[in-house]
Amino acid sequence: MWKHVLKKVVIALATIYLIITISFVLVHVMPGDPVIHLVGQEEYYYLLDNDPAYLEKLIEKYGLNDSLQVQYLKYLKSIVTLDFGIAYSNQRPVVENVFSASKWTLMLSVPVWILGGIIGAVLGVIAGWRPGKLFDKIMTPIFLVIHTMPSNCLSLLLLMIFSYKLRIFPINGMVSAGTQGFARFLSILDHMCLPLIILLIFRVAGDFMLMKSTVSQIRSEEYILTARSKGLPGKNVLFIHVMKNAMVPYLTSFLMQMGGLLSGSMIVEVVFGWKGMGMLMYNAVQNRDFPTAQFCFLLSAVCVVGSNLLSDIINAAVDPRIKTGGAHEA
Amino acid sequence: MKRKKKGNLAMKAGLLIIAFFLLVAIFAPVIAPYDPNEMSIGYLPPSKDHLLGTNDVGQDIFSEMVYGTRVSLYVGVFAAFIVTGVGTVLALISGYFGGMADKIITAITNVAMAVPGLPLTVLLVAYLEPGKWSLIIAISITAWTGTLRILRSRVQQISEMPFIKIERTLGVSPVVILFKHILPNVKDIILTRGALAVSSAMVTEASLSFLGLGNITEKSWGGVLHYAFFRNSIMKNQFWWYLPPIICICIAVLGFMLVGYYGQLKKG
Repeated sequence: MWKHVLKKVVIALATIYLIITISFVLVHVMPGDPVIHLVGQEEYYYLLDNDPAYLEKLIEKYGLNDSLQVQYLKYLKSIVTLDFGIAYSNQRPVVENVFSASKWTLMLSVPVWILGGIIGAVLGVIAGWRPGKLFDKIMTPIFLVIHTMPSNCLSLLLLMIFSYKLRIFPINGMVSAGTQGFARFLSILDHMCLPLIILLIFRVAGDFMLMKSTVSQIRSEEYILTARSKGLPGKNVLFIHVMKNAMVPYLTSFLMQMGGLLSGSMIVEVVFGWKGMGMLMYNAVQNRDFPTAQFCFLLSAVCVVGSNLLSDIINAAVDPRIKTGGAHEA
Repeated sequence: MKRKKKGNLAMKAGLLIIAFFLLVAIFAPVIAPYDPNEMSIGYLPPSKDHLLGTNDVGQDIFSEMVYGTRVSLYVGVFAAFIVTGVGTVLALISGYFGGMADKIITAITNVAMAVPGLPLTVLLVAYLEPGKWSLIIAISITAWTGTLRILRSRVQQISEMPFIKIERTLGVSPVVILFKHILPNVKDIILTRGALAVSSAMVTEASLSFLGLGNITEKSWGGVLHYAFFRNSIMKNQFWWYLPPIICICIAVLGFMLVGYYGQLKKG
């Protein structure tokens, strides 16, 4: 098993390295002066007009006169030391901006991830255990439609209904101005309600479909038929045989969803003015602030690779078939 | 039996929806009463002259929607072509030949799957020159992995079947085997995956255009929604502006999804 884990770790590291390299190539292959991609467009034109000497210094600093190999090594160094320069929007280090924004995103996405995982699993088991019954007939089409709906459409509809028509939830932002202490905490809760619900609906829909198809697949396995024919009550078959086998694939994809914790809520964040990671990246792209956008991208990629690795490791720990290195598709 | 009937019904409904939007896209100049770029008085409510009113710069929203069908479908369908095409070719190669080719393609797939989709797409759209094809490329760049994985295992299965093995020993050229004998056997999977690819490409396109990262000169449904949202049409209660794009996007996406999803069920 340790050999398996070690192999996965090496593959994960190689993947991250490749993504970092692709990101470097993107900047240098794209049309236009690479300085634009490094300092951002507005900053570039501002400097070009007002302070060409500083621009020269920047070109020198980023080593854009050097050969590509030297530039590449410097780029790798900047990533290892987490030095992405200063964001011109608020003159703070890019890294600091991104980390503070990601806190707000995690505040939304972690509860959604956990709650959605539980609710989706429960509903999915119920529907998958008795396919074709009323519950399945009603829930499956509903979740199927939600699952395909673009998140901006559902967000706008719910925003319109609950914030403008019924005035239950605030329209925009994360916290009312001037609140302190406990009032501030309540205000944040109030503001995060609607985006949280929307993200939750989508997550439940996805998890429901997954669990339902897993359970209904296991239901038709022969060992379930055996369990039934030896006279086990339905409850035992469900909890001992079906659930135990359904949990492994479900847990795997549940853990893999961790990869989307940072990058999965961009649209909803933009609609609700939630200043998280998605919003930061959106603004960065709008303002051509490429260092920030690039770091957001790299961080979400690392997040995805990391959670895939974690799910592989945990999977190897719980699934005895992998320990022996047998029936596992690499 | 009952299940099958329901599946067929849902699939037919999906096909009807697709046919409807295709017709609208083809006959857009006939249906639309105005040029969508023609400006007149802004913020008009729906009337006989302007079925869905006008937007902030006085463009007829109904005409925008009709022409938007063209852009949305174009991006969705071509992105799906690339996604399915790339996925199919790579799946055929890695599934049939195996060995080194399979290893390389699997490695590429693993990297592509580790890249967060929407952030990369947003980043690419920002780097590339704005336009329909940048959008299509950015949407397709990581989306082919799902098709590839499903097809690859199917191609592997078929390659192990006696009739393929016999042909191999007879020395039939791999091109003939792949295209004349394996491809027809995975045709159904390709078609259903293709329909699903259109629906997910249209969702991505709607999201990108909604964020204002789409094609500004040719407005898609998402583009209309972008202006509706950022010009506060929800606050001003101008439902004739923000509801039509939402409805169109949802129904069109649903149409392709029904065909893909229930087409899959039918084949088991």
